[in-house]
Amino acid sequence: MQNLSKVIQDTAKKLLEEKKVDLVVGFAQGSLPLRSTPYFARTVDQAANLIWDEYCENNLTNYLRKREEKVAVVAKGCDTRSIVALMKENQIDREKLYIIGVPCQGMIDRKKASKLVGGEILEAEINGEEITLKGNGFEQKAPKAELYYDTCIRCAYGNPVIYDELVGEEVAAKELSFAEVEEFEAKSAEERASFLAQEMEKCIRCYACRNACPTCYCPECFVDTSSPQWISKRAYSAKDNLIFQGVRVFHQLGRCADCGACERACPMGIKLSLLTRKGVKDVKETFGYEAGLNPDDKPVLNDFTPDDPQPFLMKE
Amino acid sequence: MDRNNPYLPIPMRLVKNFTETEDKLIHTFTLEFVNKEDEENFKYMPGQFAELMVYGKGEAPFGIASSPTEPGILKFSVAKVGVVSTALHLLEEGSIVGVRGPLGNWYPVEDLKGKNIVIIGGGFAFTTLRSTIEYLLDPARRGDYGDLTVIYGARNPGLLLYKDELKKWSERDDINLVTTIDRPVEGWTGRTGFIPAVVKEEAPSAENTVCIICGPPVMIKFTQPVLEELGFTPEQIIMSLEMRMKCGLGMCGRCNIGSKYVCKDGPVFTLAQLKKLPNEY
Amino acid sequence: MIIKKSEIAGLLDQLAKEYRVYAPVDENGNIAFKAIKEGAEAKLGENSKKPPKEILFPQSEELFNYSVNQEGLRMDSKVDDTKSVAIGLRPCDAKSIMLLDNVFSNDQYQDVYYLARRDNTVIVSLGCNRPSGTCFCTSVNSGPFDTDGSDVLLTDIGEAYLVEAITEQGKELVGKLNLPEADAEAKALAEKAKASATVASEVDLAGLKEKLDGMFTHEYWDKLHEKCIGCAACTYLCPTCHCFDIEDDAKDCEGCRVRNWDACMFPLFTLHGSGHNPRTSGKERFRQRVMHKFNYFVDRYNATACVGCGRCIKNCPVNMDIRQVLAEIKAQDTGSEVG
Repeated sequence: MQNLSKVIQDTAKKLLEEKKVDLVVGFAQGSLPLRSTPYFARTVDQAANLIWDEYCENNLTNYLRKREEKVAVVAKGCDTRSIVALMKENQIDREKLYIIGVPCQGMIDRKKASKLVGGEILEAEINGEEITLKGNGFEQKAPKAELYYDTCIRCAYGNPVIYDELVGEEVAAKELSFAEVEEFEAKSAEERASFLAQEMEKCIRCYACRNACPTCYCPECFVDTSSPQWISKRAYSAKDNLIFQGVRVFHQLGRCADCGACERACPMGIKLSLLTRKGVKDVKETFGYEAGLNPDDKPVLNDFTPDDPQPFLMKE
Repeated sequence: MDRNNPYLPIPMRLVKNFTETEDKLIHTFTLEFVNKEDEENFKYMPGQFAELMVYGKGEAPFGIASSPTEPGILKFSVAKVGVVSTALHLLEEGSIVGVRGPLGNWYPVEDLKGKNIVIIGGGFAFTTLRSTIEYLLDPARRGDYGDLTVIYGARNPGLLLYKDELKKWSERDDINLVTTIDRPVEGWTGRTGFIPAVVKEEAPSAENTVCIICGPPVMIKFTQPVLEELGFTPEQIIMSLEMRMKCGLGMCGRCNIGSKYVCKDGPVFTLAQLKKLPNEY
Repeated sequence: MIIKKSEIAGLLDQLAKEYRVYAPVDENGNIAFKAIKEGAEAKLGENSKKPPKEILFPQSEELFNYSVNQEGLRMDSKVDDTKSVAIGLRPCDAKSIMLLDNVFSNDQYQDVYYLARRDNTVIVSLGCNRPSGTCFCTSVNSGPFDTDGSDVLLTDIGEAYLVEAITEQGKELVGKLNLPEADAEAKALAEKAKASATVASEVDLAGLKEKLDGMFTHEYWDKLHEKCIGCAACTYLCPTCHCFDIEDDAKDCEGCRVRNWDACMFPLFTLHGSGHNPRTSGKERFRQRVMHKFNYFVDRYNATACVGCGRCIKNCPVNMDIRQVLAEIKAQDTGSEVG
């Protein structure tokens, strides 16, 4: 990874030096263990701060919409899928974007790591496939793959879908898994409702999920409108919280790149990816479509073929 | 009812829902106190505002357009922009509304005694200026003040507020009323031209004078240098600011300019005070 | 006096007969301060994700409900003056209540909802033997055993808590519990705990307020906000953030006035009905957050609106770290600016 950081820095420096771009959006060293932070490099000096490691969890495509300047972005597989989705929606001008693609095995889930050691992690060190977690009175080693985010473990698109330059080696193909969604679907309606109610009770309406999502960019979100006011602004209403999340998921159908940024952003630990991935799974099953894979196709809900299943219209 | 709870509105009855402007976007609401006790407690001064509540819709802050010298009622002129104002416009006369206030500070009419006063208003931001003029013209008070000049403009005659009052004031000789519209219109006998130009023509003396100005930001921006040319110091220029507000009590945190809350420390500020604050309004 | 840890649940049960008892509980995986039914629910070991400000200033609360007809208006105000005990607040959070008092009881208006709860709640805080890596309370006029804002302070001495009543209300509460006196050993253990609690991270606040006085138009703000996604995680999880919105939750002429937390990070927070917005971009909004805490609040109430709890640092989705921001501000050149 040290090596990848160096390659990314050199690439960024070159792009900035040659004035091919005005800005490189990437990651820099974070201020906490297990944490990297989005970084905006505009000068060659700043480019030296770019890094790459297993803590680059944010979907940087969130910073690319409607940019005036020429921008380069350091993008994982999921980030590039969001880029593709946003290109289709005229939010990103491919001509003005330079994609430094980075294959990704997965990013490390801080909460999983804390749970594993049962205390506050003050230092973490990665050696190959192993991570060492240190804190007050403990030092524990674990295979890093066990600490990846659930969304990363189930992701089959670690390799960038599109890029101008690929940094690092492609990762081995994985099978896309919706195991947790299937498990959820198998539950009774009551069980599902009670699980959702419990999750939605955690919501504090900080909208970190919405704001962390590259494809959630309506100038005025339906939860904020006052005329009409679709849902109450009260935080303690699990039902309204579910409407918020439900509408969010529906609005993401055929657009969600399945990156899990919403869930990672949630300070309250709500299992949001269960909802978004249910949407991803349904779109895949219904239309055979996965968002953000092909820059040349039409977004599935903007398209129609006579073969589309339409059980809501007529008996088939 | 708990008098010490600043969140509770008092009930008032809408006795008149008057379409004030030709474009119908501004209505003036005349409200009567339902309870005598509330009327006695509602002591206000020109420049203050109140939260006006339509039951079921919410509340929003509006400057009080009536003057404390008009007992028994409150007047508000409201532009139709949001949920509450739209609901207000549709209210039938006789309906009960809620009023919470008075809130904020007021034009320093006590300190203005013995001084000449120039009032400049533009568009529908004339509400608290109406209150001020009525207050100053009160027979018991008029003698406390020097010359009173009012310069009031709107895009066209149909958009001028308070036509009855304008007529009444124009017939008096203790107030110099100048009304102006942007472009000539048939039948218009007042001035034509933008406020800054008219102020320049009128050229009120800054000597022992205070200017109260309220209107759209662009009007204020271009009138300010004219006033400075005429010799008005920032201390002699008084303005009223608008901000999005909720509580009106200096608590909810949205209407601040620097460390001042417009709802509680304002809305009335001298230009000298504003110059010390960040330019964020 | 001391309380054995094994007896805490029983004591809370006893208190619950007379008081509503708030304690940190595990709520679907997050620690939160809630009114408990049984003493055993309390998890005194952990600090809460959401700050305990919600005990006095709930995220959503009904101010009053109403109905209206041609005759007039009926209103029922929902002032809650239940006698309460809040146990397990960390000293930083207890201190935050002192800061909130400034806001909800200002020189002109009293927020009866907050104050009714405030006046009727005894705060029993728990000192921090092991502050977290993100704590910086000692930099903002507090510390892991600060008693400011606490009526009673507990100190973890292993099998028990040393109990110190700080205020009259604290003495009254402790007096009801018939607690055994602390022996010399317990006192020594508490002293040791206090002496060994180290707050690792530091923020230098000296001169920061004055620096910010001259920084409103500084170019530092132009880029600072860039990575911020404009959510309210930092403000909602902040013990001192207190901005709120008021809305009506109603059908026809019956309903209630509700107050909800709101955040300066949202564009709608300051949007005028006319469409004008004094804080148009993330730049103005993030500047407001920093200025409000470290400059405006100091101007108004002579105190910094930050207690160094570190929640905003731990929970920011993009790792915006207020400690770094403040250090960077201190390092900015403001020579050419006039204050």
